Amino acid sequence: MLPFVLAARVLEPVLALWQRRTGHAGMIAVFLIPNMTIFGIFVIVPLVLNLLYSFTGGAEILLEQRPWVGMQQYERLLDCQNHLQPMTCREDQFWRAVHNTARFVLSQVALMVTVSMITALILNRRIAGRGLWRAVFFFPVLLSPVVVGLIWRWILQREGLLNLIVVRLGGDPVIWLNDRFWAFAAAVGVSTWAHMGFYTLILLAGLQAIPRDLYEAAEMDATPPSRVFWRITLPLLGPNLAVVLVLALIRAVQIFDEAYVLTGGGPGTATMFMTQYIYEVGFASFLRNPGLAAAASILMGGLLVVLTLIQLALSRRAERMRQR
Amino acid sequence: MGSIALRGICKSFGGIEVIHGIDLEIANGELVVFVGPSGCGKSTLLRLIAGLERPSSGLIEIDGRDVTRLGAADRGLAMVFQSYALYPHMTVRQNLSFGLENLRMPKAEIAARVAEAARMLAIGDLLERRPAQLSGGQRQRVAIGRAIVRNPTAFLLDEPLSNLDAELRGTMRAELAALHDRLGATMIYVTHDQIEAMTLADRIVVLRRGRIEQVDTPLNLYNRPANLFVAGFIGSPAMNLFRTEARGGRAVLPGGIDLPVPADGPVVLGIRPQHLHPAGPDEAGIPAELRLVEALGAETVLHGITDSGEPLVAVIDGQPAVTRGQRLRLAFDPADMHLFDAGGRRIG
Repeated sequence: MLPFVLAARVLEPVLALWQRRTGHAGMIAVFLIPNMTIFGIFVIVPLVLNLLYSFTGGAEILLEQRPWVGMQQYERLLDCQNHLQPMTCREDQFWRAVHNTARFVLSQVALMVTVSMITALILNRRIAGRGLWRAVFFFPVLLSPVVVGLIWRWILQREGLLNLIVVRLGGDPVIWLNDRFWAFAAAVGVSTWAHMGFYTLILLAGLQAIPRDLYEAAEMDATPPSRVFWRITLPLLGPNLAVVLVLALIRAVQIFDEAYVLTGGGPGTATMFMTQYIYEVGFASFLRNPGLAAAASILMGGLLVVLTLIQLALSRRAERMRQR
Repeated sequence: MGSIALRGICKSFGGIEVIHGIDLEIANGELVVFVGPSGCGKSTLLRLIAGLERPSSGLIEIDGRDVTRLGAADRGLAMVFQSYALYPHMTVRQNLSFGLENLRMPKAEIAARVAEAARMLAIGDLLERRPAQLSGGQRQRVAIGRAIVRNPTAFLLDEPLSNLDAELRGTMRAELAALHDRLGATMIYVTHDQIEAMTLADRIVVLRRGRIEQVDTPLNLYNRPANLFVAGFIGSPAMNLFRTEARGGRAVLPGGIDLPVPADGPVVLGIRPQHLHPAGPDEAGIPAELRLVEALGAETVLHGITDSGEPLVAVIDGQPAVTRGQRLRLAFDPADMHLFDAGGRRIG
């Protein structure tokens, strides 16, 4: 404690003098500067550097050694005869990653929202051990993505737990992670398992915020359970559902760690997503191209900014509806 | 038809019995008010009738039919909730028609019923608004409208005016009374406000700790309370109560007022504040020192304390020239006196 006390004693007259000189606005600056400095060094500067890198070429790491190439990296990434067919694109790996990410986002978000919704509806009922079930579903959120990937790799690998069960049941072992379909399905399923607890919690909070009186009024109105769900629960859960949808969407676009540990992007490029492409082109591949990776990350960042703006707008709308 | 009978209704929550064997008959078209202090079980009893709670034992009959095991939807009742429970994402029109759509009623019939309810409650110009765009009184009307459109066997109203300000509550109370007269439907109304109970009810059910203390017309409850609880609960300010000992058929009140009583032993004498008046020179009265004088214009409420330290409240017509700290003798007509035994039951 002593160093903090001493620091406070020393700083107090300095801050008092500063406050007298600069007033209220000056004190606001004093408290904001440390945070803004860290934010600037670790977020703003890398962002600007990344943007500059995207206009440069070559394999060198230091910016001053890299030649300025203008929009060439973007042109290379976007050069395609048919964007729906990665084979026809100059940077076909990028477009495979984009396609994989799009398929992943569509399937994972749909699965995530559906499973989280069903889980929240079940956990909102008066079931035995409700607290325990809530903890069970939330627990995977606390795990490191690498741990999640490793656990599921041990389950799904050739001599893994799942094949052990399949064999015990009299079936033939399946090489889950070497099959394009099953590897992709595993990436979708594992990331859903790992994060659904968080979204379930948001939806559960939304469900619990719906006044019980409304359900009783619906009961008095002889409303069938399915109609209660579609006409009362779902519309009133709409703002929470929209937030879940967009957050899940952003998270799905950023998919990397669990999937990378689980499948390494394979078999082939079946589970290589945009973030993995950026990582490999920028850092891991033999012919690394930091400029191309930077351009790809700027494009992905743009997409995420749009999704985040939508999420913010929906959160504000949800807040307004709650205050009503 | 809309007669309701409760036979030996008990309700427990987690092993704790909150309603203890209630028996009650409500006639068709009657407006019955459940009144009592917080936690007396009035709302629980209403929810049991509605079918939102199941009794632990006993029978509920509607028009002679046992509905105890039927769900809320199958009892043909409509409920107005304390919070109104309007669907916030639906317009007033959708709120009114939602229940009818559940019954798969033809659209034209739904439209006609909604229009009729809107006309009756003067909410025709609010039909396209959402509940958040309505005032408290308007929401209240919509909640009643939602009940009316279903043309129910009986209306159940759970403290429907408690969220309104005093002025609006008075207006809505009068509107509810008029509505009951117009519809002629059975209504069960829960409130803790005795003015609502007294002004609206055909009969009042006074509840305490899950038991019925008395069921009677408002004036009978006021004039002949069955026990000390009802005597103290009905009437504002509450009845003055004096504990004394009756000997040889006579009891003595503070100030030496000697009264004939049909009892011996410990008794409680009750006199309503409205039945006290300043004693004349030759009239016996209870001496008291005034601690507070509330001049309300048409009447004045005097709060005093007797020589034996018992509180005494009197409501005097007009604006008597009295001040705090003044000593006063307050007299009453012995015919207005209420007498209770030591157990609190009325004996005269």
